[in-house]
Amino acid sequence: MKPLISEETVTTLKTKAEPALTRRNFLGLLGKGVAMAGAVIGAGRAVSSESVGVHEVVGAKRAFQQNDEQYAESVRNPPKIPNYNWNDRQWAMGVDTDRCIGCLRCMEACKMENSVQMDANHYRTWVERYVYLEGSNNAIVDSQTDPKNIENVGGSETKFRFDNRYKNVKVDKAFFVPKLCNQCEHPSCVQVCPTGATFKAKDGPVLIDTTYCIGCQYCVQACPYGARSFNEARGTAEKCNWCYHRITKGLNPACVEVCPTGTRIFGDRSDPQSPVSLFIRNNHVQVLKPEMGNAPNVFYKGTDKEVV
Amino acid sequence: MPKHIVRLLALIAIIATIALFAKSFFRADSFYQYGHYRGNAVAEIASKIPKLQGSASCQSCHKEVYEQWTTGIHRKATKDNQIQGVVYKYGPGCEVCHTGPAGNHPAKTPMPLSIEDKITTITHLNPQLHVANIPGRKLLLSPDDMRGVCLNCHEKMVGRPDEQKQIDLDTHSGKELCVKCHNPHSPKINFAAMQTVNNGDAEAGKKLATTICASCHGAEGKSITPAFPNLAGQHADFMVDSINAFKAGARKSDMMSGIAATLSDADARNVAAYFSRANCTVTGGDKAKAELGKAKAANCAACHGAKGLRGNGAPGISGGPMWPNLAGQNAEYLANALKMFQDGTRNHAVMTTLAKALTAEDIDQLAAYFASVSCK
Repeated sequence: MKPLISEETVTTLKTKAEPALTRRNFLGLLGKGVAMAGAVIGAGRAVSSESVGVHEVVGAKRAFQQNDEQYAESVRNPPKIPNYNWNDRQWAMGVDTDRCIGCLRCMEACKMENSVQMDANHYRTWVERYVYLEGSNNAIVDSQTDPKNIENVGGSETKFRFDNRYKNVKVDKAFFVPKLCNQCEHPSCVQVCPTGATFKAKDGPVLIDTTYCIGCQYCVQACPYGARSFNEARGTAEKCNWCYHRITKGLNPACVEVCPTGTRIFGDRSDPQSPVSLFIRNNHVQVLKPEMGNAPNVFYKGTDKEVV
Repeated sequence: MPKHIVRLLALIAIIATIALFAKSFFRADSFYQYGHYRGNAVAEIASKIPKLQGSASCQSCHKEVYEQWTTGIHRKATKDNQIQGVVYKYGPGCEVCHTGPAGNHPAKTPMPLSIEDKITTITHLNPQLHVANIPGRKLLLSPDDMRGVCLNCHEKMVGRPDEQKQIDLDTHSGKELCVKCHNPHSPKINFAAMQTVNNGDAEAGKKLATTICASCHGAEGKSITPAFPNLAGQHADFMVDSINAFKAGARKSDMMSGIAATLSDADARNVAAYFSRANCTVTGGDKAKAELGKAKAANCAACHGAKGLRGNGAPGISGGPMWPNLAGQNAEYLANALKMFQDGTRNHAVMTTLAKALTAEDIDQLAAYFASVSCK
């Protein structure tokens, strides 16, 4: 087989490009120079910002939209939670979709734990079913909010199930994907909140201060993952906070606690031996919609091209 | 400077002062402490009390089932910390099936699927008592719902990983309830220890039936007098249970106690198999009474209606094989049975309670109603 460009042509190209400082080469050099200067300035800034954190904690990092002074305060004087310091933790969750059986126990437990409205259309965490019918390249997606699934449990508003509608159909592949708030590093919802009712806690979760939420629902629209909903009963935004009241007491979030198959893995990323650190280290994980730049903290294993 | 500009500037200054004052007055002290939010909110959110308590919290009171669970497959999935199958690390804990957080329990509400709330008020004559037999309003599950608890995770469904144990309903069990064979707390079946599922030989049963039973219950299962029950088309499981109850003395009858004692386990299954396959006929009851009884039968439907709590199933055909069909039965026998539950000569966890709430008139009408509904 013949190479596309023969060796002779390559040598001629080389000899041609070598001599003199052409306009093209000059521009190239100029570009490199600018880049290096930028790098030097950038490095200088990085050094200066590090020197600000007087009580620097190993592994600790600045929360979203936190200025130097506030960061120093959060390290020096953390919130008064008994037996807990938010500087010691960096919470993260792993979701192993290969294990999910779509039983929706997580959703039910979450509703119980957090007093979420009980009908199928209000939830902090949910499960989606992706089904590729034989020969199809596109997935059919449904969740517990699908009218057929609701009908399947007799229209009940307190039970959540997937129906067995694909029982007699040929299916190429199918799987369940649990979803929840991604507790992003750069949360869109926090950015748009006009009252400071939602914020990024230093240990990871994005929390809602319901006393400051005015129910404008900008955050519901801003979230690229559809993780937020509106609690009409309370008049505030509603979303998963990884059961902040549990994890600060050394318990797992409710959904992790009840998951019968170990689909959900939770832990502290600053501890290299925590379940979630091991999960991330030992598996090929990905996040949802990386192109949004939100930097999620929920890591998925085994999802597919159509899962967003 | 023109006067109107000065006035305008003064007004702006006043408004700005008010705004600044208002901001410092209304802003929470901890706002901006850690960022653009109220710093105290973090501790407030963290101070909520967890509701789910984890399986270990159930251990102190429910020692027996906890023991079954820890040694069974639902927990053994984590034996020696080795992952077995898809279940690992936890296995389904108590709160997975008994949804309703343990934090609310035992003070406020009974856990769903649990029987303990009634244990102080009913006498457990039958050790096989099942949760579905408890007349606690929310705990009474229809057969479909009872299966649903297991099928929620174990129904064969596309999308579930192969490692998950999955049940094809059509071939696995028919109308049987899961708990007939599986202990939900330790569901793996020990076949050696398990009683054989009813698989009686109808041919062998026919010989016994025609010689022993026929004199009262008729060779075809149609009794010679309305005081005796028809057996044709009755659930085999229920008949075996009844014979066993006569044997054990839990149920008493001048005739049946003696006869049941002579039957072996195999005999009982064979006879039951024979009669359960015989054709039933409706004996009929007083039409006017039946019409009145229909209105009072709602309480019966959960067990003695074909669709259980889902309602609108054929009345008198029981939802599960351990409960008797009432359709095709004699009105007189039905009325007698209810009266026996009332006066305590016959006992059943559910029926005793329910029957005691009935008047003599109710019994008359209900018996007429169930004797007149279709038994097919």
